[in-house]
Amino acid sequence: MSNAEQGGLKPPSRSTRIGRMLQPWIRRLALWLFALWCLFPIYWLLTMSLKRQVDAISRKPKFIFQPIWDNYLNVLASGEVWLFFQNSLIVALGTTALSLLLGVPTAYVLARYRFAGNADFGFWILTTRMTPPVAMLIPFFVVYIRSGLFDSHLGLILAHTAITLSIVVWLMKGFFEDLPLELEEAALMDGATHFQAFRQICLPVALPGIAAVAILTFLFSWNEFLFSLVLADRIQTVPVGLYNFVGYQQIRWGELTASAVIMLLPVLLFVFIFQRQLVRGLTLGAIK
Amino acid sequence: MAEIQLRNIEKRWGQFTAVRDLSLTVENREFIVLLGPSGCGKTTTMRMIAGLEPVTSGDIFIDGTRVNDMPARDRDIAMVFQNYGLYPHMTVREHIAYPLRLRKVPEPELGNRISAAADKVHLQDFLDRRPRALSGGQRQRVALARAIVRTPNLFLMDEPLSNLDAILRVSMRAELKHLHRELGTTTVYVTHDQIEAMTMATRVVVMNNGAVEQIGAPEDIYGDPENLFVATFIGSPPINQIRGRLAGGVFQASQASLGGFAKDISGDAVLGVRPDNVSIADRDADLKGTVFAVEYTGSDLLIVVEVGSERVTLVGDMSKRPRIDQAIGLKIDRRRAFFFDAKTHARMRAAL
Ligand SMILES: Nc1ncnc2c1ncn2[C@@H]1O[C@H](COP(=O)(O)OP(=O)(O)OP(=O)(O)O)[C@@H](O)[C@H]1O
Ligand SMILES: [Mg+2]
Repeated sequence: MSNAEQGGLKPPSRSTRIGRMLQPWIRRLALWLFALWCLFPIYWLLTMSLKRQVDAISRKPKFIFQPIWDNYLNVLASGEVWLFFQNSLIVALGTTALSLLLGVPTAYVLARYRFAGNADFGFWILTTRMTPPVAMLIPFFVVYIRSGLFDSHLGLILAHTAITLSIVVWLMKGFFEDLPLELEEAALMDGATHFQAFRQICLPVALPGIAAVAILTFLFSWNEFLFSLVLADRIQTVPVGLYNFVGYQQIRWGELTASAVIMLLPVLLFVFIFQRQLVRGLTLGAIK
Repeated sequence: MAEIQLRNIEKRWGQFTAVRDLSLTVENREFIVLLGPSGCGKTTTMRMIAGLEPVTSGDIFIDGTRVNDMPARDRDIAMVFQNYGLYPHMTVREHIAYPLRLRKVPEPELGNRISAAADKVHLQDFLDRRPRALSGGQRQRVALARAIVRTPNLFLMDEPLSNLDAILRVSMRAELKHLHRELGTTTVYVTHDQIEAMTMATRVVVMNNGAVEQIGAPEDIYGDPENLFVATFIGSPPINQIRGRLAGGVFQASQASLGGFAKDISGDAVLGVRPDNVSIADRDADLKGTVFAVEYTGSDLLIVVEVGSERVTLVGDMSKRPRIDQAIGLKIDRRRAFFFDAKTHARMRAAL
């Protein structure tokens, strides 16, 4: 301040000063409103899970009500939740592992090697995302019934991998393209084989990116509904399990939301733990 | 230890020719310096030798074996990259260890060799840092240490000292020279610092626009340039150029006429003479002019004299500092003056 005055700069006018004072508050207000907007569904989910059915379906939304734990107790007592949870975990982890195992090396090759049809191949992978997934559902179903993959963890893992693979490849391709070529060249000069350069240099350097892609894949698989519903019967993942609470006659809102909350918790925890990697990975690129 | 032969190598990207028709034999144990302005193809030449860039045409031989199709890692070459090429996830220690680990050097030996290499480049205190936490000069030294920790066929160094401060650069220069004498490893070294080139090279390759202008010992490059480019590129302050016409041993410039040159060359020419070889003369001056500027560099006094429309720089005597605008006579050392063809810029040499 004193510098500005000594430098002969005019002190800011009154209105500018007020504007400057208000600015941080306006910014904060905007952020709060946005956060509220985003968090409201979660809030509603939480409160709903503590409501009686009458409160839950009351015509006028009820903000004040007598909270009960019955929904949670019912859900936990039935034990089904754990089964859904277990199935989802197996499928999501399997999908993540398989997608990365196939996708990361593919992405690396597409990013680094020039060969005939490189661009075509990359595009072709992407076309799997150009039709709505429903279009592929029937073929999947038929193949699964015939091959015995129907209603198996492996079947769901394969289906989810088929859907996520293109995204994994394209995201990872971007990460690898952003890595300076000199990294591998230096490794080659140091005496590494191409594979060693990939394994020992590129892969560790791209780790934040890989972590981010892994998290996205995991979340996708965890939340996937359509394929999990159609391609399995007894093996129910979390979203399919939740769907059970939607009956012909009525929707059991209390138990539905209570289960949703229970199954949301591990995901929240997961994202919370890995959010640094997620953010770092998604903003990766400036490796100097 | 190896001898390298480049035979008519070329590198083209589409229409653009980065390196043209380059032939060079680097003898075993030689320290060759590639010198030239930015973008002249030095790095490209290095990368072709290293095997990181395929040649468009021509052949590369290492110890008589054609290596055009040999992958980089089999050529056993250590390279210092212009942009360092460091691994972001490795500490300095891991960097230096990496080439040794790949060669399965036993762990006990590893420690000694790492600290020896780190000592040479003054990095002992940084062994546990990652590149992110190092300055440009320190990164450069990591790249250097990683190269010198093993004894390859050949060292390729792409401006390895460009980011060091003046003092460290001089000491690293001596260190590299010493290392070369000690190991005797054939070295190709890129720089655009001519002092570095002059002090370190057994031979210098002056390049321009992707082509070789001259290959020779530092003394020859400086004292016997093949063409005007080499003459002007080497030497600081740069060589003086005076345009004119040479005939019958007399050089006729716009302001003066200088006799006493070889009689068997003639034509439009550029007279090149280094500031060291111009002196102040009160009588029998070759050129007359007025003092335009006097620059004190610490060790020398540079006097810039305006002669007609041209400026001539000379290294003056510290004790006799001329005044600006003072009229002054100059004498040119005939034996040290070069003539270049005004059109082709090639050296015009007198038959002996
Ligand atoms: N991959 C490439 N594709 C097209 N042109 C290139 C490529 N790499 C280099 N060039 C061009 O080739 C020329 C020579 O480049 P090079 O890197 O060898 O120059 P240099 O002599 O090392 O310069 P500097 O002293 O600035 O490092 C430059 O004009 C550059 O633009
Ligand atoms: Mg270069």
